[in-house]
Amino acid sequence: MYDFAYHRPKSLADAVNMLKGKPEARAMSGGMTLIPTLKQRLAKPSDVVDLAGIKELAGIKVEGNNVTIGGMTKHADVATSADVKSNIPALAYLAGHIGDPQVRNRGTMGGSVANNDPAADYPAAVVALNATVTTNTRKVPADSFFKGLFETALGEGELITSISFPKAEKAAYMKFPNPASRYAMVGVFVAKTAGGVRVAVTGAGPSVFRVKAMEDALAKNFSSAAIKDIKIPADGLNSDIHGSAEYRAHLVGVMARRAVDAANK
Amino acid sequence: MIVEGQVHGGIVQGVGQALMEAAVYDKSTGQLTSGSYMDYTMPRADTVPSFKLGYKVTPCPHNPLGVKGCGEAGAIASPAAVMNAVHDALGPIGVKHVEMPATPLNVWQSIQGTHRAAAA
Repeated sequence: MYDFAYHRPKSLADAVNMLKGKPEARAMSGGMTLIPTLKQRLAKPSDVVDLAGIKELAGIKVEGNNVTIGGMTKHADVATSADVKSNIPALAYLAGHIGDPQVRNRGTMGGSVANNDPAADYPAAVVALNATVTTNTRKVPADSFFKGLFETALGEGELITSISFPKAEKAAYMKFPNPASRYAMVGVFVAKTAGGVRVAVTGAGPSVFRVKAMEDALAKNFSSAAIKDIKIPADGLNSDIHGSAEYRAHLVGVMARRAVDAANK
Repeated sequence: MIVEGQVHGGIVQGVGQALMEAAVYDKSTGQLTSGSYMDYTMPRADTVPSFKLGYKVTPCPHNPLGVKGCGEAGAIASPAAVMNAVHDALGPIGVKHVEMPATPLNVWQSIQGTHRAAAA
């Protein structure tokens, strides 16, 4: 680990000020990615601004048709929240299957979404439920938030304060975990909300993506039979020692069908 | 109990070898790509069921106590048993060979090979 200045602000305004004008400063939420990165000397930030002391950033609220989750809310709290379980059980299920108990009790929703790891679980939920990401400066719709591999719409010094998920009529998340790391090799979130049907895929490509052909088919007939013949092109998908692009393309179809079946139960 | 523990561990070691563990090197650079447990798949507690062991006791005639070593005894037979089971399961759809370890990717590729051959 290289040397850096550590800050622990008590308010969002203080955190934003500490990051201002320091292009090499990094905000830290749960640190589940940043700390291993620092330990391996893969990053050399000038400052680490630890958001853990900011009470206003954590918590879960149900407001009208939305469940709004603070950026610093831990995965374990999302997984066990009565509000999330009753309104969007698929989101609680997803949170309960991230990493291991240690990660779920440190890692946060905002941290995971801001990092946009291609194999992270939350981006699939954010896109499939057409959630809105609220930052300290603006509201960003899900479809324009995730830009590419570890890349998001967040600007310098911009922090996720909360994410607002519309309640789902039917939804489910199915993932095929990498056998070693247990990150999503392919994860598919299927959701039917007042806004329509969405199918979002994580783990398979450089960043989360939607499968329009499946969405159209499911809008007409929300059953796994409706998407059984839809083939996903392997072009541009991730390939590694655990799964070729072709295998991942195949798994998108399998996981999508399982997710639809689970959503219909 | 020590013998049972050794056999349990040995069986799981063999199951790991048959289904999961692989030291993979990048062909162009020689870099070990399965260099950490994020990529090297070790069997874990949820990989296997619990075992009931049976014994066939044959005392060793070459020492006064009749004792034998038993360290990790299950590791010898379990890879063969698991790979035979994999081939038995896939035989009906025409798969004749699956590379070790029989990971999900290797099993799928073996099945695809059969499908492609059938289509050709």
